[in-house]
Amino acid sequence: MPSLFGIAWKNLRRKRLRSMLTIVGIALSTWVLVSLLGFNQGYENSLNKDIDNLGFQVLLTAKGCPYEAATLMLKGGTGLKYMPYSIVDSVKANPQVEEVTPMLMQVVFDPNKGESGGVTAFLGIDPATYPKMKTYLIFEQGKWFDKPEAMEAVFGYEAAELEQREVGDLYLLPESDVEVTVVGVLKRSGTQDDGTIFLPVRTVQNVYKLENKITSIGIKVNKETDLAAYEEELYKLSDVQVVSMAQVKMTISNLVATARVMVMSIALIAILIAMVGVMNTVLMSVLERWQEIGIMKSMGAMTSHIFKLIWFETILLTFVGGIVGSVMSWILATVTDKLIRSVLPYSPTSALVQIDVLLALKAIGIIMAIGLISGIYPAWKAAKIRPIEAIRSTDGEL
Amino acid sequence: MKRMGFLIILLLILSQGLFAAVGCDLNDPDRDVKRLFPSSTGYKAYYMSITQKGGKALLAKVEKRLGDKFTGLYETADVPYTIYEIYKDKQVTGYIHGVNQKGQYGGIQVFLALDTKGVILNLYYQKMTNQAAKSFRSDDFAKQFKGLSMKDFASYNPSTGKQEGSLAKIKNPAVKAEKDFKATLRGVKKNLILMQEFGYIK
Amino acid sequence: MSVNNEKIIEIKDLKKIYVRGSEHIHAVDGITLDVNKGEYVAFVGPSGSGKTTLLHLLGCLDNPTEGSLMVADRMVYCENKCMNERDLTKLRRELFGYVFQKFYLIPTLTVEENILLPFAFYQKEDAHKNAKHLTEMLGIAHRLSHLPKELSGGEMQRVAVARALINRPKILLADEPTGNLDSKRSAEISGIFQQLNKEEGITIILVTHNHHLAESAGKMVELKDGKLV
Repeated sequence: MPSLFGIAWKNLRRKRLRSMLTIVGIALSTWVLVSLLGFNQGYENSLNKDIDNLGFQVLLTAKGCPYEAATLMLKGGTGLKYMPYSIVDSVKANPQVEEVTPMLMQVVFDPNKGESGGVTAFLGIDPATYPKMKTYLIFEQGKWFDKPEAMEAVFGYEAAELEQREVGDLYLLPESDVEVTVVGVLKRSGTQDDGTIFLPVRTVQNVYKLENKITSIGIKVNKETDLAAYEEELYKLSDVQVVSMAQVKMTISNLVATARVMVMSIALIAILIAMVGVMNTVLMSVLERWQEIGIMKSMGAMTSHIFKLIWFETILLTFVGGIVGSVMSWILATVTDKLIRSVLPYSPTSALVQIDVLLALKAIGIIMAIGLISGIYPAWKAAKIRPIEAIRSTDGEL
Repeated sequence: MKRMGFLIILLLILSQGLFAAVGCDLNDPDRDVKRLFPSSTGYKAYYMSITQKGGKALLAKVEKRLGDKFTGLYETADVPYTIYEIYKDKQVTGYIHGVNQKGQYGGIQVFLALDTKGVILNLYYQKMTNQAAKSFRSDDFAKQFKGLSMKDFASYNPSTGKQEGSLAKIKNPAVKAEKDFKATLRGVKKNLILMQEFGYIK
Repeated sequence: MSVNNEKIIEIKDLKKIYVRGSEHIHAVDGITLDVNKGEYVAFVGPSGSGKTTLLHLLGCLDNPTEGSLMVADRMVYCENKCMNERDLTKLRRELFGYVFQKFYLIPTLTVEENILLPFAFYQKEDAHKNAKHLTEMLGIAHRLSHLPKELSGGEMQRVAVARALINRPKILLADEPTGNLDSKRSAEISGIFQQLNKEEGITIILVTHNHHLAESAGKMVELKDGKLV
């Protein structure tokens, strides 16, 4: 017994090339849609991961202290301000604080660097707390120093390459006669840690006569903590500056928002094109079958049957196109990733486009909904054909 | 923060373009060439590695001639070397070539300025870290290498460090930095061997 | 089965007027006619005499402009009032089978699917049994899995007849059923119609230019300029 669905399916196979091209159009739109939905989801996750990689949600620095190595380098090492070590304890006293890691940035002039000397920055860290917060740092060679006053150093990947150091090598601390042994070289992490030379915080304090001084504190708070309120509280400490990673995140998000709007507009256009494509294909097919549809009505087909028949065709087209597009977007995820990366002002390090089954189903759902909407006009047009008109005319007309 | 992002992207781009092994080239070729060859009018740079030129066999040959094995991350067969061919008008007047050499405090970069016959005209440390670096970088020290060539270094054995023949007169400028002094001699020998094996000098 | 006096179609003063610009064309111009159950009627007449239009009106495929039409005791059209589309569809399902000159088979469906096409829209018991009976009677049982393009013209028209009869209609309407066939195939179709009328008792109304076919009908109705002659 023929079914409406079977008739619809066979009809699509009648004009194979046209159906295929329509499916390709829908597949491309689905690809764009899946990739963009995947991007929306992936970018957020990826950005969060990057921020979490910092290990702490709040960075406390001495007022006026540049908190990132890049600024330090550009400023030539001037303008470093210090906080007393005791501030660590007062921060720790707050029950909301889960972990605290003190850091001491030191910038020195190395006369052996380059032609006429250059600036080298060290980061003094606490071996007991810092590695725990930066779990993403993986070693190429060796390990972290284990004593707080060890005469040892760990090199970031780029720093090791630049200085040509490997584990076991000695390193002469500039502006002093002190030798430290390289005990670890980190793998490339894609963060500014790659260019950093890590020393135990006590060692930096001792060698450079900075007893009881630090430049910043990384603070990790409980998950339940209201960050904004906590930051306000921190400002009660004198002469400190609070750098919130939430703020950082927001700044980046704002930067990306513009790019996102642009990308979404492209998606919208792609979807509209697919919609018009589906409508055109199905409408053409209705006009070509004007008489067939009239005959069906003379044989007892109700308006609703014809409407359904034409709708099934759109559903089939969009369903197949949606699946093809989803598979395509999954296969091409890496390419899409690169493509999006090229237009964004800042891209996190991990995958930008994250596609999963749920997302693909969502996209197929959206595409099918769009297909159904674009199928309404042709279906309505077909449904209201009167048998006599169809029999009398040779072809349909708009 | 925007700058940090930019820095990260820059790092990523740069790091992807880098060679697997760290090479040895002049930081500022225009300036350095002019200083080592004041009368030069131009130069061409050629890139070469042991792997590319002769693979494992060449590495074995170089190690045998050197009298020592290659060691460490920065002395491998795939290190890309840069050879600067120096021109005076259209005439080749010499070469500049540098090698990585492990010293007491990490890598030393030993550059030689050679004439076309392979005779040393000058010695230049692009990178060296130790307390006595200043005396190593001095003209007085470099002068002691002037006029020497492969034949003077042929019998030098880096593992014993014994200086014989014309090498005997080269003096260590800082007793404390004996290790870097020996490293320099090894680096110069390696430099000359590579220049011969790469076919630039006889 | 013989013809009895029970009326199946009654028309009174039926008119169909087409308006083309300022011109009014009286395609059917006040025809009054009854068709009895089991009757075999042929409409004949020159081209443009209104016979096809009349057939369409009787088959409830088109609405008249004036007059009344009653089919199987149901008022289809009377005093400008027409049965609604839904009831009309039901009426067509129940009472009518249509055969057209151009066959109108669906090219993507097999012979069997074409014959059973009406049941894509509604259910009927013993559909398969009836299909078997019809295809054997019409001599197309061996062609069931073929596509229309693989059939001859005569076979195509027999498939169209089978499709028209699949719902066991009371009335078979045929518009130039042999118009696209050679004389041999026409004679075949003519034989089939006579058989259907005599053995199955189906009321047949057809429009034709074919004398042989017209003569095989029990009653010939001649039209000219939209009027009975």
